Amino acid sequence: MPPAETAVLSAPGLNPLRGLQKYLKIFRVSLTERLHYRGDFFFGTVLRYLPMVTTILLWQAVYAGTDNPDKKIGDYTQKEMIAYLLLIHVSRSFSSMPGLAAGISRDIRDGNLKKYLVQPLDMIAYLLSYRAAHKVAYIATSALPYGLLFFLCWWFGGIFDTFPDAVTFVAYLISLLLGFVIGFLFETSMGMLGFWILEVSSILWVVNTLNFFVSGQMIPLEVMGPNWAMVLKWLPFQYLAYFPARIFLGKVPPGELWTGLLIEVAWAVVLIVLCRWLFARGLRRYSAFGG
Amino acid sequence: MGGVARYWRLFLALARFNLANELAFRANFLVKIVVETLWLGILLVFYDKLFANTKDIATWDRNEYLFFVGCFYALSGVIETFFLSNCLEFQELVRTGDLDFYLIKPIDEQFLVTARNTDWSTMPNILMGGGVMVYALVHMPLWEHMAVPDMAFRVLSFGVLFLCGCAMTYSFLLMLTSTSVWFVRNQSLMELWWLFTTLMRYPRQIFANTWASPIGTLFTFVIPVLLVVSVPSSTMAKPLEPEHGWFVVLTAVATVVLFFVSRRFFRYALQSYRSASS
Repeated sequence: MPPAETAVLSAPGLNPLRGLQKYLKIFRVSLTERLHYRGDFFFGTVLRYLPMVTTILLWQAVYAGTDNPDKKIGDYTQKEMIAYLLLIHVSRSFSSMPGLAAGISRDIRDGNLKKYLVQPLDMIAYLLSYRAAHKVAYIATSALPYGLLFFLCWWFGGIFDTFPDAVTFVAYLISLLLGFVIGFLFETSMGMLGFWILEVSSILWVVNTLNFFVSGQMIPLEVMGPNWAMVLKWLPFQYLAYFPARIFLGKVPPGELWTGLLIEVAWAVVLIVLCRWLFARGLRRYSAFGG
Repeated sequence: MGGVARYWRLFLALARFNLANELAFRANFLVKIVVETLWLGILLVFYDKLFANTKDIATWDRNEYLFFVGCFYALSGVIETFFLSNCLEFQELVRTGDLDFYLIKPIDEQFLVTARNTDWSTMPNILMGGGVMVYALVHMPLWEHMAVPDMAFRVLSFGVLFLCGCAMTYSFLLMLTSTSVWFVRNQSLMELWWLFTTLMRYPRQIFANTWASPIGTLFTFVIPVLLVVSVPSSTMAKPLEPEHGWFVVLTAVATVVLFFVSRRFFRYALQSYRSASS
């Protein structure tokens, strides 16, 4: 067996500018692939109305029975709560990455990772382009049914009666894009654990279950009580769902808005470093099993 | 009824075999149980936070609602343990043509397709759901002052209605599964099923007197999925109202009708099956 030092694989360096065209091409191919099944896509989105309807009804019933002063839960009126829970879907349509971590760890386990290593491309950048294309396709096809639903809520239910001003809206878009980045980097880092642990999927289950709760997808963080809310706001998970929705509702004070986004950028940088570090360390252990 | 005994023996033999299989991967088994427990914990925290802010949800107070959650959890545990994973595999059997091997066996096709594997890792869900139900009942003023015959009557009716709920859910699942014969590129059967079961998660009363009451009527009387958990839970945990009897009758009738309709539908779907391989 050769000494470990000579068998080391290393990740190709990332040169964003020179390689950009390459990744744009990957983006285009992936986009075409996704749009091929747009009928399927559209059908799935329409079916997703069902849980939204029951969620709205549940919260209407909760608010009908509340004795809280001024009928607020957390600091949300009934309309704001329903708007929040609908906006969560928008946040998640940017930040969710189904199958990303599982795919990476599978590639590591069965040796397929080498298909990235023997090509003149960076795996993380490749996956990023691929996911970005999926997201664009997903958002493009779901914009219509979601837009219709939001319109109906606004027209009949008076939900979203106050639309954010231009500055807040720009901040909202930025927070969504950063949510995509953080979601991507977090999932990729989880997938990298596959270098050390053979079976990551069980860890992923636990993490995803917890994530559902701590990112505020079930209830806004405020409703969990001040202590929990404080702890959870220190974690990056809030940016995957809670934070963008909160911006849209105008509940982030202007002073905190930009600091909030800066902290989010900082988290993204931390995760980039973590991801790159795990990848570099992992490749040293990687032995490309399998044919 | 020699047939029933035969299928029962067959079922037990398969279940024993699955258990041995499952225990060969004990860590995976444990992780699944941890995730399910975690999930129940999150649900309970969620409802705890809701009831910290409200006194009731569509006429269900804290303990009544807790009973409902336990009942839903136990019922979906039953479905997941005995049927769900089998049904989810069906579309793959159709796509690859491996369904042939089941069709040529001298065993009922519906039994083989829906009940051949027992998923032991979701069995604890049934117990956990039961635990939540018992906890809720013990904390109910209604049950503190109940005479013993009343209790027995309620427990007995609940048992029957819970089985009705399971049978109805099974029938819905079977019908949804059957559609895989026609929609071969239907990747999201699991997701469809999840979306459909959101209708069971909440009491049917959340639809009453709202903009969605036509949807509520549709899913109570035409596609009676809203009865599945609501009726057994009401029977056990709520003061009985006069019209409740009608819902019990409706549930019983719907169970029988759905069971036969779903079986017919499944057999009809099988007739459209064109073996894909060879």
